[in-house]
Amino acid sequence: MSEPIKIRATVKGSEGEVRVLMPHPMESGLRRDASGQLQAAQYITSVTLSLNGRPVIEGALGTAVSANPLFAFQLLGVKAGDKVSVAWLDNKGQKGSAETSFAAG
Amino acid sequence: MQRRDFLQAFGSATALAPLLVAGLLRPGAALAMSFNRAAFDAKTASDALRLIGAASAEASRDILLKAPEVAENGAAVPIEVISSIPGTTRLSVLIDKNPLPLALQFNFAPEAAARFQAKLRMAESSRLRVVATAGGKHYSVFREVKVTVGGCGD
Repeated sequence: MSEPIKIRATVKGSEGEVRVLMPHPMESGLRRDASGQLQAAQYITSVTLSLNGRPVIEGALGTAVSANPLFAFQLLGVKAGDKVSVAWLDNKGQKGSAETSFAAG
Repeated sequence: MQRRDFLQAFGSATALAPLLVAGLLRPGAALAMSFNRAAFDAKTASDALRLIGAASAEASRDILLKAPEVAENGAAVPIEVISSIPGTTRLSVLIDKNPLPLALQFNFAPEAAARFQAKLRMAESSRLRVVATAGGKHYSVFREVKVTVGGCGD
């Protein structure tokens, strides 16, 4: 979680592709450590993708999303320079966010 | 006099600004509605489907679910979902045999295509199910995925 989010946005014509990698352990609460102790659940419960500050995709996640969640999305009617941001919140109240601009791809 | 007109016009524009902002925020507010954590705590796929209101989802050929037939690593099974059902506003993914079958849900505003790629954990070989919501109706597609090494317990 201390590592920065990676977010890449490219636009072709008016279609924009956004790829996001959010470093996070996504502990399911079902995993045991080496000493057999159950690891407490800590996972991202919500993700919001915004285009120029307006939410356009909102996700609710469960524990079945892999560690360091990686998502790809497609936005419509975008142009180079439009801003895209992602924000996440986990079940322990921790947060992360990142922003980038669409680049011609 | 002209200056006053200008100031009045400016004043009314300023008064309208919060309304514009409220208007701009409305799609976001609509997106945020009705996610349901209870469904994520459901222990069976049928309970999860019922809790997301999709118990009677209709089978559809208009949802593409790309997933490997055999996944060697259950900790990160890549999937791609594309709905070509017009007006799709939500996609939900369930993994029937996971301890908690509902994996994720995405809501899409009109500025977003109803599609995504993700990586999911699968505890064991299972049916993978996608439900698309469009115009208040639910449509689904499923695919069986064999998992060589499960990805939930370790």
